[in-house]
Amino acid sequence: MTERRSVAIHVPVLARVEGEGALDLRIEQGDIAELRLRIFEPPRFFEKFLEGRHYSEIPDMVARICGICPVAYQVTAAQALERLFNVELSPWAQAMRRVFYCGEWIQSHSLHIHLLAAPDFFGCSSAIELARIAPDEVRRGLRIQGLGNELMDLFGARSVHPVGVRVGGFHGAPSLAHIRDMREKLRAALPEAEALIRWAAAIPVPQDDQAFVSVATQHPADYAIERGEIVTSDGLRIGAEAFDAHFAERHEPHSTALFSTYHGQPYLVGPLARLNLNHAHLPGAIRALLADIGFVLPSRNLFHSLLARAVEIWLALHEALRLLDGYRVPDSPWVPATPRAGVTTGCTEAPRGLLWHRYEMDAEGRVVNARIVPPTSQNQGRIEEDLRLSLLNFGLDHPDDALRLHCEKVIRNYDPCISCATHFLRMNVARI
Amino acid sequence: MSKVRILGIGSPSGDDQAGWLTVDALADCGVQSEHELAIDKLDRPGASLIGLLEQADWVILVDAMQSGDRPGRIKRFDQDAWPGYTQGLSSHGLGVLDALSLARAFGILPPRLDLYGIEIALACPGGEAGDDIQAAARQLARHIAADLATASR
Repeated sequence: MTERRSVAIHVPVLARVEGEGALDLRIEQGDIAELRLRIFEPPRFFEKFLEGRHYSEIPDMVARICGICPVAYQVTAAQALERLFNVELSPWAQAMRRVFYCGEWIQSHSLHIHLLAAPDFFGCSSAIELARIAPDEVRRGLRIQGLGNELMDLFGARSVHPVGVRVGGFHGAPSLAHIRDMREKLRAALPEAEALIRWAAAIPVPQDDQAFVSVATQHPADYAIERGEIVTSDGLRIGAEAFDAHFAERHEPHSTALFSTYHGQPYLVGPLARLNLNHAHLPGAIRALLADIGFVLPSRNLFHSLLARAVEIWLALHEALRLLDGYRVPDSPWVPATPRAGVTTGCTEAPRGLLWHRYEMDAEGRVVNARIVPPTSQNQGRIEEDLRLSLLNFGLDHPDDALRLHCEKVIRNYDPCISCATHFLRMNVARI
Repeated sequence: MSKVRILGIGSPSGDDQAGWLTVDALADCGVQSEHELAIDKLDRPGASLIGLLEQADWVILVDAMQSGDRPGRIKRFDQDAWPGYTQGLSSHGLGVLDALSLARAFGILPPRLDLYGIEIALACPGGEAGDDIQAAARQLARHIAADLATASR
């Protein structure tokens, strides 16, 4: 008869996760008695910093929340404020917001795939180890990432904390010569992105099958990035203003990040949730490629997240190229805005998932209060649920190191950006 | 004629400007070399540093460092002395050693790479670099200029 183990494990550091957090796992008599994703990084009070600030400062301030996805914060804030001020973007600005956002998806996804997630599946402890055994693939990934940065640079003057977005459009417009050069690079990168998808699809991943609700924005015109309504895989469709009626944030003592629930349950945001909900909006060429590699959507296996990011890189390159075709420098890259008092909301798809902003503004255009719900806090409950299910599916009798690696892989599927600050997650496992 | 690239890495934060101050001082002292010389000031270049290492025969890289030593102390690192802390490699904070280690794994390090660190104390955003850091930057610039002159003979 096999004895059911009760074991205590202490794993002090789990790398390649953004921010400071910990995982506590207690296994008693062969069952999970406690599992908590504990985020102990101090709160950053960004929403409080925004109070009293003029609307013109908001895009640049919220960009500082994240060094990897500043565009998401800028575009979401601008969208919310433009809605309140009844600003209608020019077709040029609307299209270039999407192009700008594509740059962020390209760089963020490529960095995550190659530096954070992929090493797990090749038995490597770091991207540097992976680079030794797959140098061409990692270099390709860094080239793609660099192109994403260039695209952000083009519209934001720099790729980290860019400064291009303003309420009403952009501060400036790139020259035709710069756009021509960028189009050539995007065109050249598409075959590399296809090769990346095939490489990602060939990586053996655990077979997992979980029931969860996917949440993402959706737009009738295209694969939603910078606009759209919020939809869920169980049939909800709402505007950003109705978010609070269906989604709630709550504080848990073990975490300084809020947990979000949808009708009281955890839910998934991010690339796989988007693909699950919006795969019909993918261009025909990529749908054919997915059929060719056998990637069936929707997927209930979170280990498809790496592949989902690769697919979205291809999509973002394709979209940027499409929207820059026939580019013309506009007479003005922005339209004027007149502030007014009121409450407004906005939502877009940050690389890691749905990003929701709410602002109460006064008549002078100053922030009375602000709320920002980032993707990682929305995924936090789902990560805990996933860890529990994945570990049970994986089997608790594996050696401690194997359990720890499995937990790390699960967590990294979500590309959590715990605070956009530091880079360690400590894990304490106790078996009794 | 060799291609030499001199990279000063930093940020606008007090002593963290050490790399920038060094290449500024190098430019000020009118560095003379028969080599094809490129001097860049970089602000936290991340992975883009890798591309700058290619197509150079000799790269001289200067960055700030903190090891608990006296501020202003200059250290030179050979490849076998690079600290191995890449476990923390992150998309948010891809540091100089991470990028150099990746370049080494790709096999694209230049034939000669001189890596210098200037020990710093405070890196306050918007602040001036301390006098000891500025003096160290000038001293290192003179040393690099002498190296370049020697190599040109």
